[in-house]
Amino acid sequence: MFSSLWSLQAGTQGRISDFDTALAENYRIRLMELGFHPGEVITCLQTPAFGAPKVYRVANSIFSLDDDVARHIMISPVDPA
Amino acid sequence: MKKIILIGSPNSGKSLLFNRLTGMHQRVANYPGITVDVASGRLASIPEVILVDFPGSYSLHAISGEEQVAVNFFSQALEDPDVVQVLCLIDVTRLEKSLYFTLQVIRECERHGKHAVVVANMMDVLERHKISMDLAGLSEEIQAPVLPVSARSGKGLDAVQEQIEQGLANSKEGVNPTIAEVPDAVLRGTAHKLAHKYGPKGDLLIKSQARLDSFFLHTALGGLVFFAIMYMMFQSIFTWAAPAMDAIEALIADIAAVVVPLIPNQIARDFVSDALFGGIGAFLVFVPQIFVLTFVIGILEDSGYMARAALICHKPLRLFGLTGKSFIPMLSGVACAIPGIYAARSIDSPKKRLLTYIAIPLMPCSARLPVYTLLIAAFIPSTTLFGGLVGAQGAAMFGVYFFGMMCGLIATSVLTRASKDHYEDLPFVLEMPPYRLPAWQPLIRNSWNRSKHFVTKAGKIIFTVTVVIWFLGYFPTMGDDLGGSWLGQMGHVVEPIFTPLGLDWRYGVAIMTSFLAREVFVGTLGTMFGIEGSDENVLPLAEQIQASGLSVASGVSLLVFFAIALMCVSTMAILSKESGSRTLALKMFAVYGTAAYLMAIAAYNLVSLF
Repeated sequence: MFSSLWSLQAGTQGRISDFDTALAENYRIRLMELGFHPGEVITCLQTPAFGAPKVYRVANSIFSLDDDVARHIMISPVDPA
Repeated sequence: MKKIILIGSPNSGKSLLFNRLTGMHQRVANYPGITVDVASGRLASIPEVILVDFPGSYSLHAISGEEQVAVNFFSQALEDPDVVQVLCLIDVTRLEKSLYFTLQVIRECERHGKHAVVVANMMDVLERHKISMDLAGLSEEIQAPVLPVSARSGKGLDAVQEQIEQGLANSKEGVNPTIAEVPDAVLRGTAHKLAHKYGPKGDLLIKSQARLDSFFLHTALGGLVFFAIMYMMFQSIFTWAAPAMDAIEALIADIAAVVVPLIPNQIARDFVSDALFGGIGAFLVFVPQIFVLTFVIGILEDSGYMARAALICHKPLRLFGLTGKSFIPMLSGVACAIPGIYAARSIDSPKKRLLTYIAIPLMPCSARLPVYTLLIAAFIPSTTLFGGLVGAQGAAMFGVYFFGMMCGLIATSVLTRASKDHYEDLPFVLEMPPYRLPAWQPLIRNSWNRSKHFVTKAGKIIFTVTVVIWFLGYFPTMGDDLGGSWLGQMGHVVEPIFTPLGLDWRYGVAIMTSFLAREVFVGTLGTMFGIEGSDENVLPLAEQIQASGLSVASGVSLLVFFAIALMCVSTMAILSKESGSRTLALKMFAVYGTAAYLMAIAAYNLVSLF
């Protein structure tokens, strides 16, 4: 079951499965350059109120993404260890 | 002269390493993309070699026009035969992000026959967390030296200097290409694998950072902290800078009081008194505001809070085509457009930075305050409602402030929607840097450098315009009658332009002189109406304006006009310097002037109906 990164709740994880085709190629490449690769596990750290950009951890970096970007990153549940 | 390039990802500690190696004091900021300009300095250990600090970048694959300029600049630098070595800085705590860029840099170096050295920064963080990583293995894999350092403590810099010396000695040696033909997609995969294989394992700073974020980004507490910090910043520009601004004005007046009487010739005396000292004072008075705001913004950037503030403001500002990073420049613009324009440097998206430049001059700056105070005192009755809780004049002041801000937001909103496809833009993907204590010395030095930049770059323009306006206002009446001066004659010529607002030539002259600074409008009108000290106490002038029979409709049209029009010369000077486009400043002047004029006519006719 796939959903978007934007739907991830604070404290939960998801594995990047793919990027939405609506996401411009340049943006997709930049996200991958920053570590948002398909297969990578992402943790949502903060979901500030009023639709503000959310805070995600990827590897040892923390990024804030707004819905315009995060909605186009598809994730799947992380298999329990 | 031999050159060495220093390059790295944003937030990797590049500016700090540059300072360490050159002994210069470029400011270090804990905020992505802060190194906007290319800085250079002589190496402290080998003064005949220049170290060139390139803007921080996540990739050599540009996704905006501005990034492309930086990438092209780097490629051109690699073709320079004087460039002997490239130092590529990586942040070992966030290895993957740094490694992809590093591999791209190494590939470009191989293509141009240059030697690349990888400097692995933040080793002190790994040591603190008792985590090690296999730098030797990484070095072998990427076929480049990898030197562990801590730019903050200076540990490991000896090895970097040795490597530089060795590189200089071996600069004629060829480079063995290993990845020169490897495409970006493969490099991304390689960086990913190498980071997993050699990168540090475990939570580095993440837990403590997450704890602080849960406070600073908390819906209620985070909001309160945000407003408290913004309030302090606003106060810093308005209140903390005020004593220094007063002191500068007093000092210039004192020097003038000593120097001017020594000049025997009347014209020369008037020139030195009004044009020379007036012109110098016109731009020096802004220096404390620029210094204080740069310092406060530096603290926010260094500490890591700026990225959080941008996140908090992003959603509401996005409605108007702006970004969260636009908030601080715009708030600064409420005090003065000049520090606001400087503050916009930290906006990495060229489109959003341009929109922020467009919005800032419409923020109700403090120079408009005396104009509003005069016009409101003259035309708005001092009646109160609800037992004195609400006053008509206060409401009018709020209204005109709000009107200016809304005009700024509407302008950016309209432009965003009208030109959606005309600009390349960056997505809102903002790195949240770790919280850190600011480094005070570079902060002070940067504030000083920014102030110096203003004086040397904008000062000349402001001074020249001040002298020209003095000249037009002084001759041929020798300063005796402003109305009879060339400026006054120009006022008569342009009077038909102001007739639709119900204004005569005196207001035309006052509006023209307000190009120096908006508050000059009040002083000029005071001179016209023969009232001394009108810029200190506006009431006598307000009474004179009332007595002259000027209508309320004209007063309201002037309020509307000043809310939108006439960026002052200082704003235009610094806008053209910061944006790198004189055309932009001139266009904005023309568009805002026309819009202000048309809206003032509309306001005049609307109010005249009642």
